[in-house]
Amino acid sequence: MVNFVTEIDAEGHQILQWLSPLEPQQRHQGVRADRLDGVGNWVLETSEFRKWHDLEDGSAQPVLFCYGNPGVGKTYVR
Amino acid sequence: MVIDSLCDQAGDKDVAVVGLYCDYLAQQEQSATNMLGAMLKQIVSRGGIPEHIREAFRKAKKKFGVRSLLLADMEDILKKTIASLPRVFICIDALDESSPKHRLELLKSLRKIIRRSSNTRLYIAGRPHIDHEIVKCFSEAIRIPLCPTHGDIKSYLEMRLDGDTDPNAMDEELRANIMRIVPEKISEM
Repeated sequence: MVNFVTEIDAEGHQILQWLSPLEPQQRHQGVRADRLDGVGNWVLETSEFRKWHDLEDGSAQPVLFCYGNPGVGKTYVR
Repeated sequence: MVIDSLCDQAGDKDVAVVGLYCDYLAQQEQSATNMLGAMLKQIVSRGGIPEHIREAFRKAKKKFGVRSLLLADMEDILKKTIASLPRVFICIDALDESSPKHRLELLKSLRKIIRRSSNTRLYIAGRPHIDHEIVKCFSEAIRIPLCPTHGDIKSYLEMRLDGDTDPNAMDEELRANIMRIVPEKISEM
């Protein structure tokens, strides 16, 4: 996550709450702390990942689905 | 890892990366509307809240208390917000853990949004059984099966063995056996 956070006024806080009660950022920090460096990096090197990531225009297929059974490490790859 | 690598590459360019995860225990709360809202929240809490969202909020506030947003309104707001950014990555983890009803709504909404937003990429991780739902909404989706490599398993084992709190119970032979047999067995699975 980018560390830079814009200052948010009182109405801003109400708006954020109004948009959604969910707080997914917190969970990300927890997973990130447990992750082992280098493990799973091969995903980023696959031609499928590159194709999804690199193309600049909208002509490419914009959706990438990584699937696996419980325990293979999907959450850590995320 | 995907999220962090996208963030690292994004640097201070105007690339927004949003991350969501689904959880069996929060199925009720994780409605399509709330999940789209959570994406918006992440975008605007970094980039500032655009005027069109403030206006929508003030309008909703005039009625009894603050009226919550409907799915269609949320889609429109998200589309508008995304349109103002050069590039957006949306990453959703454990989509299989959301309720089938919410998942279908979310995928349909995302399809509408992505069709209109050529600057947006969607990353989804989940168990194989939701594959057909993804393909139904995004017939051309790129798919990668995740399976740890030998190298992944070895790095993990080394980390765990080095962190052993009772190292006296370990000798070289046992260690070598663990490092050989565990990756073999996992490959057979």
